[in-house]
Amino acid sequence: MSTQRETDRDTEPAWLLVTRREVVSRITDRSFLFGTAFMVLLIAGFIGFTAWQEDRSEDATLAATPEAVAMATAIGDGAPQVDEDLTITLLEVDDRAAAEAALTEDEADAWLHPVDGGWQLTSESSLQDSLTTVVEAVVRQQVLADNAAGAGTTVEALEEGSAVTTDFLRGDAEQAAVADAVGFVFVFLFYFAALVFGMQLASSVIEEKQSRIVEIIAAAIPLRHLLAGKVLGNTALAVIQLLVYLVVGLVGLSFTPYKSFVPALSGPTAWFIGFFLAGFVALACLWAVAGSLASRTEDLQATSTPLTMLMLVMFFGGLSLDGRGQVIASFVPPVSAVVMPKRILAGGVEWWEPLVALGLLAVFAAITVWVGERLYRRALLQTGGRVSLRQAWSAAE
Amino acid sequence: MLEIRELTRRFGENTAVDHVSFEVPAGQMTGFVGGNGAGKTTTMRMVMGVLGIDEGEVLWQGRPITRLDRRRFGYMPEERGLYPKQPILDQLVYIAQLKGMERVAARTEVTELLERFGLGERTGDHLEKLSLGNQQRVQIIASVLPRPVALVLDEPFSGLDPAAVDSMVDLLRDYTRDGIPVLFSSHQLDLVERLCDRLVVLAHGRRVAAGTVAELRDAGVPRFRLVLGGDAGWVRDQGGLEVLDLDGGSALVEVRQDGAEQHLVAEATRRGDVHEFVRVRPALSEIYREATA
Repeated sequence: MSTQRETDRDTEPAWLLVTRREVVSRITDRSFLFGTAFMVLLIAGFIGFTAWQEDRSEDATLAATPEAVAMATAIGDGAPQVDEDLTITLLEVDDRAAAEAALTEDEADAWLHPVDGGWQLTSESSLQDSLTTVVEAVVRQQVLADNAAGAGTTVEALEEGSAVTTDFLRGDAEQAAVADAVGFVFVFLFYFAALVFGMQLASSVIEEKQSRIVEIIAAAIPLRHLLAGKVLGNTALAVIQLLVYLVVGLVGLSFTPYKSFVPALSGPTAWFIGFFLAGFVALACLWAVAGSLASRTEDLQATSTPLTMLMLVMFFGGLSLDGRGQVIASFVPPVSAVVMPKRILAGGVEWWEPLVALGLLAVFAAITVWVGERLYRRALLQTGGRVSLRQAWSAAE
Repeated sequence: MLEIRELTRRFGENTAVDHVSFEVPAGQMTGFVGGNGAGKTTTMRMVMGVLGIDEGEVLWQGRPITRLDRRRFGYMPEERGLYPKQPILDQLVYIAQLKGMERVAARTEVTELLERFGLGERTGDHLEKLSLGNQQRVQIIASVLPRPVALVLDEPFSGLDPAAVDSMVDLLRDYTRDGIPVLFSSHQLDLVERLCDRLVVLAHGRRVAAGTVAELRDAGVPRFRLVLGGDAGWVRDQGGLEVLDLDGGSALVEVRQDGAEQHLVAEATRRGDVHEFVRVRPALSEIYREATA
């Protein structure tokens, strides 16, 4: 390869031409458009379903033996203040046996009865989340009121000065749940995009190698430009697709009861886009190398195995890591691309942590670009079967 | 003019191209012949900058060739292929742009060429939708982009149907008429002999012969055929000659000493009727066989 560094000012830079071809040929591809549209529908559908589920009012039947009827009635009356979607019907039963029978026969969802030092809510086998929450809240209120009266004071007097309200506790838990769900979406989107666009990038590299058009291209432009154009083109496509998904998701979310979380999510989402960009560029170069090592499409399976493994590690690591493991992984590229945005979502991250993680990821991306370029350039013109990494690294140009 | 000087390329222990030098003059077709593994493709790839050069250099218009010079070269690699799933106009314009043409000019040029090859109606078709013959025509067009200043074609005729061979030959003649140097390799010696002004023969990575077809045929020890009215047995006694073949009144001789053929004619005329005395030039295939043996 000649080492002259000359520029041709009259025409567009070669990498831009390559980028444009990648984007145009993909964006006019029907399967790409259908895939994107399908994913948008899936996201909108999922959000719609969640909202519907959230809005749906629940009915629960609470069985009570005579000694618990008073408390159960109070619960039925107090329910709307705790959970407006829950309506509680009271079922009076004679004794324990009758209550258990009512549970087994599905006439009641739970049975409330006093036990030593408190109350017990018995249900058949399934958890009655919303019912339990309501019962806990009302029972606490009632008992507290009784106890206060017994001690010659009032609940208000007892609670005075306590800043922690039940409402606040519940809101926090909900925020954590939302952070968890959005974190899953981030990890999934990254995995999905890196795999789909990575595979696409690798097979377009093979297409050029297999059809030998790469030799015509190599005679016209430096292969560095070809690689840059392909990586940039696919990164642009992946980011555009990601933005579409995120916008659909956030806009969709703003029509649901979760709309109050949307402003709080935009910061972490912006970070996620940054991490996605750096992480994707790093992986895209590796995918291009996987493509250049293969001679035919059939070889891709073998040459891309290490990468698909890495993707799986990132996916499951991103989902399952917590505690110290998560903190460490949030700085280790390329896993940090999914773990750090998840930590940002959960909160409690120092301002400098995402910056350091992003910096490390960018350094990693720069290294893969450099190594990838060398491997790609050398493997691309070797057509005799699969090329090993070592061969590609040491081959003369 | 394109000059190749002492080009050398090694793959490990194997020297694929060993100090090969030749010239491709402007406006001439230079045929590049040699058996499989002779080093033709490696040489052409080095000329095009696709493969690194271990030793030697390539000169264009008397100075070392640059990447921008090569961008203006038309190139057809040995193995063919374009994008199967892209419209032919789009991908040819893309290649022309990669080779430095401006978009509008590229479109005009490609459209003209497609029309010339009878593909004017198919510009929006995907390559894979075309017949094999038409795919070859698209490939030919790809190799002559962008209005090349030189052409380097590796086995341009292999696999072409006869009609495509004729279109290719016409196209190449147009380019040489415009003063463009053309280097092409081929196995088909008859085609090379018909088309080429000059010839370079490669064997085992070395240049074994080079020159115009006439020069090559004139090179080597001159041979003459002499046909007499009577028996030609006396020719054996003539000095400075080696008799290769003797059959009644006909003899084929090789001149070992300058002027010996003049003495032979004089002696023959003195002895009687001379029916024929002619210089015998070897066929190209014979030269090729001898050179590469």
